[in-house]
Amino acid sequence: MDAGDLELFERSLRAATQRHRGAELDAALAELGWTELLAEEPPAAITTLFELQGAANTTSASLTRVLEESLGVGPVPVLWPALGSADPPGCLRDSSVVIHGLIAGAPDAGSYLVVINTGQGTSAVEVPAGALTARPVHGMDPWLGVVEITGRLNSGAASGSVPDDGGPVDWPAARALAQLALGHELVGASRQMLELARAHALERVQFDRPIASFQAVRHRLADTLVAVETASAALDAAWEDGSEVSAGMAKALAGRGARTAARHCQQVLAGIGFTTEHVLHRYVRRVLVLDQLFGSTRSLTRALGEELLRSGRLPPLLAL
Amino acid sequence: MDLDEFRTTLDAWLTDHEAELAPAPEAHDTLDAQMAQLSKVKRLAHDAGWMRWGWPERVGGLGGSALLRAYLGEALTVRDLVEPGIYSMTEVLAPTMIDYAQPELAAAMVPRLLQGEETWCQGFSEPGTGSNLAALSCRAVPSEHGWRVTGQKLWTSLAQYAQRCVLLTRTGTVESAHRGITALFVDMDSPGITVRPIQTMHGVEEFSEVFFDDVEVPLERMLGREGQGWSVAMDLLPYERSTALWHRAAYLHRRLQRLLDSAPAGALDPTVVAETTQLVYAFRARSRATQHRLARGETLGPETSIDKVLMASAEQAVFELVGDGLAVGVMTGDDLENRRWRSEALYARAATIYGGSAEIQRNVIARRLLDLGKDT
Repeated sequence: MDAGDLELFERSLRAATQRHRGAELDAALAELGWTELLAEEPPAAITTLFELQGAANTTSASLTRVLEESLGVGPVPVLWPALGSADPPGCLRDSSVVIHGLIAGAPDAGSYLVVINTGQGTSAVEVPAGALTARPVHGMDPWLGVVEITGRLNSGAASGSVPDDGGPVDWPAARALAQLALGHELVGASRQMLELARAHALERVQFDRPIASFQAVRHRLADTLVAVETASAALDAAWEDGSEVSAGMAKALAGRGARTAARHCQQVLAGIGFTTEHVLHRYVRRVLVLDQLFGSTRSLTRALGEELLRSGRLPPLLAL
Repeated sequence: MDLDEFRTTLDAWLTDHEAELAPAPEAHDTLDAQMAQLSKVKRLAHDAGWMRWGWPERVGGLGGSALLRAYLGEALTVRDLVEPGIYSMTEVLAPTMIDYAQPELAAAMVPRLLQGEETWCQGFSEPGTGSNLAALSCRAVPSEHGWRVTGQKLWTSLAQYAQRCVLLTRTGTVESAHRGITALFVDMDSPGITVRPIQTMHGVEEFSEVFFDDVEVPLERMLGREGQGWSVAMDLLPYERSTALWHRAAYLHRRLQRLLDSAPAGALDPTVVAETTQLVYAFRARSRATQHRLARGETLGPETSIDKVLMASAEQAVFELVGDGLAVGVMTGDDLENRRWRSEALYARAATIYGGSAEIQRNVIARRLLDLGKDT
């Protein structure tokens, strides 16, 4: 896809994300050929859609599609890690496989693909939905539409079906792609919060002038833009260098940036931004939950720090 | 020459000439020694052609993308061959000369800067003019052969070493603000110039007060037209926040690695180490994108204020961590290595002050990038 095609495609995607959510958006994406683009050019597909999805505060099954594509397993929905965790949702314990994960956008799935940490590595098993407990999550962000999936299986099941080539599952690569996707969604949501706060600051008059003229307000919004651009640059660089460490750093920066954006924008929107009459709260809720998916800012940062102190080596210098 | 070829051949040359290029053990200890090392490295790199790549042929360059210059500075910095702050003055002042000096003047002067023969300084700030640059009052009046300058500059980095100065002067009324400013290229040995170095908190006479008493500057030394000085300054500032910052990011990466190598077990908090590493990575990612925009010929503008804010945050994070991880050395060590850590840790405190303070950068972001209108 050349630059012109991509621009056109992005315009269609934008309209779709603004108009639809959930299964309707999935159908629209399928019609637009997003799934094909995901197979052919993952960076273009992921960066464009997820920023728009974040900006529109909408939902789709696209994150699950990204995991399927990366693991080469579609069309079985791949279970996400449990909230707060970046580890596979399945774990071999004693003679059982303990499953604790999340899923979105697969209401009628007959089965799930569960990646399992076996202690020696990772494998994957297809588990019938009936063998698991599903709890639709209301929670902090009821509009996100995630379902919590739990269960415990006999360990014999863990040797079940593996992807096409029968090789071990590359969980770190799939996780890195999911982190980048979520990073872009966080950036999209952050940019939209900034736009909402900016518009309010220009309109809202106090002491006979728009509050946008007060330096305290301006600097909060400037700091928000810095935080958003910081995350955005790190995401672009992570695509460029392709390493899993960079993807984790970019996700952490996007999560931190989004929380900074939520804090400053909520403060600028003040009273109205604290009500459900303004849309800001939907974004605040969304970024708080997205930050917890596939590793939170805090857990990713902590894990990186421990690894840096263990190895004594910084990640390689990003090349010019 | 493309970037990959440049990278490979330059890296090989740096390895082959390691001994010749290497700094003396005490090369970081004084500014005199740093300047001598800088001049040596620039001369060797210029003679071998490296220093000429990425600059136009009309000023003695060999042409090619600006990315080549960015990589050269990075390569010299990661090998600890130059101090990036003083190295990057070239990246700030040479483009100004190329864009605004008369072609003969640029052709005569820029090569002297590239080959390490000369140091130039930037006479912008004044006692009454820090953040509010448009209020400057150092006056130039027409004289028989050009301009006669009277006034004072402050915070002029490296003035005591400099042979030339890119000087902003007031040629209109004070009320004319940014419209009445003219830029001049002044010989620092002109009669009437007095330089008084100032000792900084980090123990270096990095900048000076410079006094001008009826200093004659020939007409052909004007940069741009009369009254165009504000454009000269505004076009120069993004250079302070592009290639120079790319070099600074390489420097921060190297010092952070050195900190990991040196800190005693248990002295570093893993979360803070990782936050700092993420910030340095993001700063480098942002600066990389800016380098590529510059190389594509895009005009850099107020968006480079984000690069500057990020640089200051990253630098202060790195040296806050140094203060914790190497506390004993930084607070009480008096050997070469610890003197260097201490000096750098103190210098980092200036990162939110120089080159447009953190507050000014945020004002620029609010006004120019977020379009929030005038402030009160």
